[in-house]
Formats: sequence, C-alpha cells, structure tokens
Amino acid sequence: MRKLALSLTDGRGFDILLVAVPLGFLLALSGLPLLYNVLMSFQEVDMFSLGSVIRPFVGLANYKALFAEPETWPIFANTAIFVTASIAGQFVIGFGLALFFWVNFPGASWLRGLFLISWIMPGLVVGAVWNWMLSGDFGVINFLLREAGLISRNIFWRSDPNFALWAVILANIWLGTSFNMILLSVGLSAIPEDLYEAAELDGANVWQRFVTITLPMMRSSIGAILSLGLIFTLQQFDLFAAITSGGPNNASNVAQYWAWDLSFKQYDFARGATISVIMILFVMLASVIYVRSTRQEVRG
Amino acid sequence: MTEAWRNRLMLLIALALAAVYLFPLYWMYITTLKSGSAVFATPPGFWPSDPHWDTYVYVWESRNLARYLGNSLVIATGAVTLITLLGTGCAYVLARYRNRWVDVGLFLILMLQVLPASLMITPIFVGFSQLGLLDYPRFAVVLAIAAKSMPFFVVLVRATFMSVPMELEEAALVDGNSRIGAFFNIVLPLARNGILVSAILIFMQAFGEFVYSKSIIQAIEYQPASVGLNSFMGPNTNEWNSIMAFATIYVTPILAIFVLLQRRIVSGLTSGALK
Repeated sequence: MRKLALSLTDGRGFDILLVAVPLGFLLALSGLPLLYNVLMSFQEVDMFSLGSVIRPFVGLANYKALFAEPETWPIFANTAIFVTASIAGQFVIGFGLALFFWVNFPGASWLRGLFLISWIMPGLVVGAVWNWMLSGDFGVINFLLREAGLISRNIFWRSDPNFALWAVILANIWLGTSFNMILLSVGLSAIPEDLYEAAELDGANVWQRFVTITLPMMRSSIGAILSLGLIFTLQQFDLFAAITSGGPNNASNVAQYWAWDLSFKQYDFARGATISVIMILFVMLASVIYVRSTRQEVRG
Repeated sequence: MTEAWRNRLMLLIALALAAVYLFPLYWMYITTLKSGSAVFATPPGFWPSDPHWDTYVYVWESRNLARYLGNSLVIATGAVTLITLLGTGCAYVLARYRNRWVDVGLFLILMLQVLPASLMITPIFVGFSQLGLLDYPRFAVVLAIAAKSMPFFVVLVRATFMSVPMELEEAALVDGNSRIGAFFNIVLPLARNGILVSAILIFMQAFGEFVYSKSIIQAIEYQPASVGLNSFMGPNTNEWNSIMAFATIYVTPILAIFVLLQRRIVSGLTSGALK
C-alpha cells in the first residue's frame, strides 16, 4: 500500500495517473459513443427501442436504404461543393492577407491578430449577422451589389435554391479566412530571410521568388493548413442552423447537418448514425493526413 | 520613398483591409441602433444618425437575456473547469516524455479532436438518455463539451510545457522535492500563462457552443444564449434590430476579452495548432 502511494506521489504512478484519468474520460465520452454509433448504424432504432442497447440487427439495411434515397447524392455533392469552395476561398484570401502582413510595418502584428475576431465569435452570431446581411429585400449585400452595378435584381440568397448553399459558403469563408491567415503567417515567418537575399542577388523577380522559395518552403505548412481546413469545414454546423437550416428543399443541406436533422428533427436515429459513421471515417482520413504533414514539419 | 512613408502607406492599406473584413461586425452594431422602420430603409443608413438605445433594454427584458447568459456562463465555466483539471496533467506527461506510448496517446488525442460535434451528438444523446443523464441537461452538455474540447486544450498546453526547461524540474528533484511537489511548485507556475490563455480560448468556444445545447437541453430555463438566439430567428423574422441587439449583448464580452488579450491568445493558438 505504502509503495503504491509513494509511486503515485513520486514515481511512475504519478505520470500514469495524470494520463490515465483524462484518457479514460475521453474514451468513455468520445470513444464509446463512436463505437455505439457504428452499432446503431447496423440496428433498427425507433422511439420505442431508444432506451435499450439490444435492438433488432438489420445488417447493412440502413446503408442500403440511405443510398436508395433520392436526396442522398445531391446532399453529398453539396458537401463536396461546400468543403471545396470554403477551403479554396479561405486559403486564397488568407494567403493573400498573410503575404501582405508579412511585410513588416508598425502595427502589423496587432492588426493581423484583430482579424481573428471572425474566428473567435460564436458560430450562431456569425450566422445571424450574415443571415441579416444576405436578406433578400433589405440586405446590405444586395444593396452594395446593386450600387456596384453587379446585379440588376435582388438575389434571394436564403430562399433561392441556386444561391442558398453559396450564402453559407460566403459566411464560412469569412469565418475561416482569418484562421488560415494566422497559421500561414507562422509558416511564412519561419522561412530564413537569406534565401530571398540570395535569390535577389541572382536576379529573381517577385513572382519567381514566390514560386521557387515561398511555395516549396511552405509545403508542409500548406498541407497541414489544408487538412485542418477540411476538418474544420466538416465540423461547420452553426452557420447552417442560423442561415438556411439546409433549405430550401435540401438545396443547401450538407451531410453533417443532415445527420443531425434526421436524428433530432425526424427522430430517425439509425439513419442519423449511418451518415455519421460515413462522415466520421472521412474526417479521420483527413486527420491522418494532418498528423502526417505536421510530423514532417516538426522533424524536418 | 522613405521608410517612414512606406510604413504609413502600408498601415493605411492594412487599416482599410481590416475595415472591409470586419464590416459584418460593424453592421451588427449599427443595426442595433436603428429604429424598427429605419432597419428596412432603402438605401440603408451606414451611420447612426438617430440612435435608438432602447432596443437593448427591450431585448434584455423581453427575451430574458439574463437567464440565457447565465446558463451560457454556467456551461462554459463547468466545461473549462473540468477540462483544465483533467487536461493539464495529461498535457504535462505528454510533453515530458518522448516514447512510443506518448506517440500513441498523442495520436488518439488528435483523432478525438477532429470528430464533428453534429455527428457525435446522435450516439451521445442516445447514450445519455439511457444513462438518465438527460435529467441534468446542463451537466450533460458540460460533459459533452469537455470531451469535445479537451484534446484541443491538451495540444495547446503541451506546447507550453515543452517550453519549460526540464533542468529546472530536475534541480527541484535533486533538492529533495517529490514529483508532485516539483510539479506544483516549479512546473505549474512556469506554465501558468500558457494554461490560462488556453483555458480562455476553451471558455470562448464553450460560451458559444450550440449543437450539444440545442440537442440535449429541451427546457427553456436551462438553455444557453446560442440556443436562445437561434429560437429568436424564426424563418420569417423581421425584428432584425432586436436580433442584432441580442447578438451584440452575447458577443461583446467575448470580443472585449479577445481584444484585451489578443497578443497572448494569438501566440498561444499558433504555437499549438501546428505542432
């Protein structure tokens, strides 16, 4: 007994205790639900069997039924568009801003940090503000576009099936750009300056320096940031809840919102779990890429 | 062009960029000061010529904002306390050693960090309802948020512990401290700032959390402000000045903390996210 107590205060036991309790907590509250999710996707779950773990086993029936639905592929396509367009927008604008703020001038780092406000705000608030700005008749975005002569009639961002998904993408690009910019700035500041001096002596112009020095030196940071972007974009839920609720008629629905909608609006927990399993597999793939690319950065 | 003029020009462009980027925030604040009819004016007013401050009073009382914000505060405080208590020690051990087990632990933590809340809520909800945890909805949400955000906290705080020189701890051990003593007297005080900044980041996240609260908390008297804001925004809403006032009251404390601690928060965030 004394030996155990001694180990806990002054030996290996101390380390093991410090790690075991949080890891146990995480496994109980994230690991178990993960497995339970897989189990539910193979079961028939309804309001009556919600209280029991042992439910009728249906094999792959949930998966088959899911892919037989007419809305499944359009929603997965929406998810792909949402992810691609959001990451592309966030990354390109973020990179541009990071390059601008890389030029050192007084106040640069403070102003750059201020951008992060968009990322720090609750998603619901960001969604509410963009919902109001994108409003059809009285929204300020439509007003500015009209004044600029870009549109002649108001765009009904939230209720027009052609624009609903893009309304959420627009808000999401705004939300994530600053985070991309901050991480890219870190990568940029790690590039040794003498590389540029040498290139300049050799007569390389700005564009050549960007392509032959900046991009190759940033390769692993860019990999990490893009996969982080994928992870964060697939987590985005609040904006959908605040702007379009997946409507009209699923035009702006994506998998991560659909899974929640099926479980908590239509009480089809088995279907919700089935989509969750598919998407979680996808997210885990992205995070393996992320871990690999950050590894390289630490070691290289 | 001299150095000083170049700096001034760059600063001017930077200010313009920041103004464009943060326009949505400005639009939120300015909408709260408009009257019910001025909100729908064409062209919209870009300057508060006739500010109406009473919208704040009206929203605060009619939407019962004190209760919503109180619940957000309870949930965020609970989650941060739980995460800090459990996560700090975990981050310390993962920073102090470098072996295969630590790699496995780190990998597990990174994997658990990426699970989207809206996908995890289905099994968590069903599991919690079977355990009877839904009778304590705010506690259930605290547990769910803690599980979701702890990995992020561990990653951030681990980066802080990495920067504490190990020799200091070894010196304390030679001087006769126990491991526990060295941890509490030497390592923790040195890592205090990093832990504090990470805790603040987690607090801001938990204060704005939506998915878990929306799904788990049915009773309106326990709902946090994010759920309150969501139910305020019906599909055909037109009280935009009131909604923006709700959002303003909700978000301004977070923004104030952020602007005050900006430097520390940004450096804490960047040191953890890429390592």
